Amino acid sequence: MENVVVDVLLAAGVGAELLCCVGVAVMRTTFDRLHYTAAGTTVGPFCILAAVLVREGFGQVGLNTIAAVALLFLAGPLLVHATARAARSRER
Amino acid sequence: MNAFETAALALLAGFVPLGWVCLRERELDGVVALELAGVVTTLVLICLAEGYHRGIYLGVAVVCSAVTWISGFVFARFFGQL
Repeated sequence: MENVVVDVLLAAGVGAELLCCVGVAVMRTTFDRLHYTAAGTTVGPFCILAAVLVREGFGQVGLNTIAAVALLFLAGPLLVHATARAARSRER
Repeated sequence: MNAFETAALALLAGFVPLGWVCLRERELDGVVALELAGVVTTLVLICLAEGYHRGIYLGVAVVCSAVTWISGFVFARFFGQL
């Protein structure tokens, strides 16, 4: 049962991340692309974090994974905002 | 090959469209693709560390996520001033 849950979470995380990568390539404007970059820092990482936590629990591995994903999650919106500001200033 | 190794291999496919954007589109769009490539790299490192049962390698993933953040800010500021 645990393996099935891990497989489903990994498949969801990888699928979401690949969808965001394709979205960045398909969209036409910088702002549309930033939308997919922002989604890539939330859905995929959290699914993979959940898979690791189901497998390992809250030990050293789990806490290190939480640290990496939390950095992505907290820094992602700041980075998207900074990039959007740069894109806006270049459009002027 | 376990599930985490398979996931890491599948995530590597995400570099193809991102690399295409870096090569073919405007430079700021390349920065956007580079930011997402950093996220994908962090996830690949997490999956490889878990897949090979080497918890100590997760430190590399933590450093990668921090460096992705810093490099994104540097690029955004640089291209914003041009």
